[in-house]
Amino acid sequence: MTRKWTRYPKRTFYAFIAPWGVGFVLLTAVPMVYGFLVSLTNFDGSSPRWRWVGLSNYAELIGDGDAWAALVRTLVFTAIVVPLSVAGSLGLAILINRRLRAVGLWRTIFFLPSVVPVVAMAIMWKLVFNKDSGILNAILGVVGIKPVAWLVDPAAFYALIVLMLWALGGGMVIMLAALQGVPAELEEAAAIDGAGKWTVFRQVTVPMISPVLYFQMVTGVIGALQVFVQPLLLTPASGIADVGAAPDSTHLYMVQVYQEFFLSNRFGYGSAMLWVFFLVILGLTMLLVRSSRSWVYYEVDTEGGAR
Amino acid sequence: MRMRWIRESVTARTARDRKPRFRRRVALAVAATLAAVPLLAGCTVGGSTGGTTTLTVMIGAQDLTKAQIADFEKKNPSIKIKIINTDQSRLNTMLASGNPPDITVSGAVGSANINARGLATDLTPYLEKSKVLKERDLQPINNSFRWNGKKSGTGPIYGIVKDWSQDNTLWYNTALFDKAHVPYLSDTQPTSYDKLMDVARQLTTTEGGKTTTYGLGLEWAWSLYGPMAAMVMQQGGHLYNSDLSKIDFNSDAARRAFAWYVDFAQSGVGPTSLNPLPDGSDYSTVAAGRMAITQDGYWFGGNFAAPNSLTTMRMAPAPIMGDKQVAFSYSGQGWWIPAKSKHKDAAWKLLEYYMAGPPAVARAESGWGIPSLKSLMSKMPQKTPYQKEAYAVAKNELNHSASLPDSPYISMDLLNTTIDKYLQLAIKKQMTVDQACGALTTDLNKTLAQGKSQIG
Repeated sequence: MTRKWTRYPKRTFYAFIAPWGVGFVLLTAVPMVYGFLVSLTNFDGSSPRWRWVGLSNYAELIGDGDAWAALVRTLVFTAIVVPLSVAGSLGLAILINRRLRAVGLWRTIFFLPSVVPVVAMAIMWKLVFNKDSGILNAILGVVGIKPVAWLVDPAAFYALIVLMLWALGGGMVIMLAALQGVPAELEEAAAIDGAGKWTVFRQVTVPMISPVLYFQMVTGVIGALQVFVQPLLLTPASGIADVGAAPDSTHLYMVQVYQEFFLSNRFGYGSAMLWVFFLVILGLTMLLVRSSRSWVYYEVDTEGGAR
Repeated sequence: MRMRWIRESVTARTARDRKPRFRRRVALAVAATLAAVPLLAGCTVGGSTGGTTTLTVMIGAQDLTKAQIADFEKKNPSIKIKIINTDQSRLNTMLASGNPPDITVSGAVGSANINARGLATDLTPYLEKSKVLKERDLQPINNSFRWNGKKSGTGPIYGIVKDWSQDNTLWYNTALFDKAHVPYLSDTQPTSYDKLMDVARQLTTTEGGKTTTYGLGLEWAWSLYGPMAAMVMQQGGHLYNSDLSKIDFNSDAARRAFAWYVDFAQSGVGPTSLNPLPDGSDYSTVAAGRMAITQDGYWFGGNFAAPNSLTTMRMAPAPIMGDKQVAFSYSGQGWWIPAKSKHKDAAWKLLEYYMAGPPAVARAESGWGIPSLKSLMSKMPQKTPYQKEAYAVAKNELNHSASLPDSPYISMDLLNTTIDKYLQLAIKKQMTVDQACGALTTDLNKTLAQGKSQIG
């Protein structure tokens, strides 16, 4: 039987969600529909002279080798960066989740890079990575390694990964909070039962923090897929031409999208690329959500609902 | 029955209790909205209130000083100036929304694309009436702002250049030439590109695999189309067809120019996109005494007027590939008034002040470029020996002036990045020069066809 009685009138519910609803409609739904409509045009971003072109932008995208290459590159980049950043931030959190002298200082030091603005960080790394005057090649030179051109292919890809991992401290703080929420008695009980440190970590700690690992993974995948500013900041050019100066190996999907929008002035085609990318991200997120059922452990029952 | 009574009673009480609060909230919301309206209005561009016009001007951070703005506003009490720093993405958005700034800045070379899309105001009627800006006083670079409906160079004028340079000329550090025992470049005769490469090789020094001194910088990140187009014109050829809808890098002249760039990169005598400078431009490396020659226009000399700057710099004519001397500007930054500006008359007043008033004189005297007006040429600095030499070289180069062909169907940035893409493939030997030139031609012609279909 359908429940008709409610403690509060429905309009209270709608009044409370209205701010979010208005925000969703104006800032998400309308731009998405607008973006889809633009993807059906040849709009150049500024001129009133545009026309409807139907699905031809999508048809062109199917045969666009540069766009597909950028998509594959982005997926590979994500597959490398996300596990490294999740494992790295967990590793750092484990390191400082113990009784250490000046533990607060260590936490601050590890966290500091994640509060440095991305532009400042990229400029700093650009100087560090410079082939002729960078400190990295100077250090490598001391041990007899020849100078490496870090900011061009193929090394640029690894330089970008280093840049991404530099701000592990943000994830570390979240992991640290999760680790401190693991009941000590569970770990002690496992130890009394004869489990070694690795077994305790693998069988007790990881399952207990798996919701946080899952959260880090989902947000990490979405963030890594959308990486865009960092590759541009590592290029030698400035302004819109940056996008064309990005080496092949760091020419990720969003860089390609930006190139179509602002270098080629093809807002219609760029919008089509974004819509396809939205579907790809949605698909990947749904895969992650499904996979989480088999490895994420919740202390509360999330399946049963109210009884 | 009892349940229903309780429910109705609770509902009625809740509604009764909420009523006054709800009214207060509504009143607050209305008040907040009313308060926000003027704030939102402040977010829009420009405006006229009480006989005062606010001009929104999107220009470089240092284009107009505070003193110059105050001076203009004092002379024109009904006009106030609001500066927005140059931001291409923001400009696109403002143009698309039909609410553009009243003045903005871009290169005269490269304006064909803007004009073909109908984004700029025809300034010819204003110029004809002006008492301070005269058509006959404009340097030929201003013709790049002209658009006749099909091609740039002739017809109505859509912008005025603020200053310019012939960007394929050279600057060199005599101290590094002395150190390498290399004779100086001629002040009057152009150096051939082959000779320039030899000189660059002699001037380049390396240590442990690192380049300590570059022989030659080409400002690779700024323009590839400009210098290559000059190289082709110097050999008597052209990259574009007559209506600028097709480009050809397969000609002998174009392949020679392309091959020179590949050779330059492979020989390691200067920075390229595969071995970039940290800041993407030559100046800091030149100033550090780590680059002997740089291909930059007259404006580059403005760097050396400051006390404690290098005193060993000299200017030399544009190098040559072939028989014909050709020197031209790759850009020629200037101001234009968007077609949908709501304050065109006031914008023109500021444009006149900036192009022919005290700011124009100050720019001419600074040495940061050749003035856009012939009448200001005498103001160019000639105090120090290097300034005198540079003035003589720049003036002589005016005899070999040409204008860089500017297709309306592609932006300069896209043109440069596409050339760079194929140069990289040839430099890395993933393609031969001939293959790269062929693929570049195909790629660019596809883009040009898209541009032509867009503009119609």
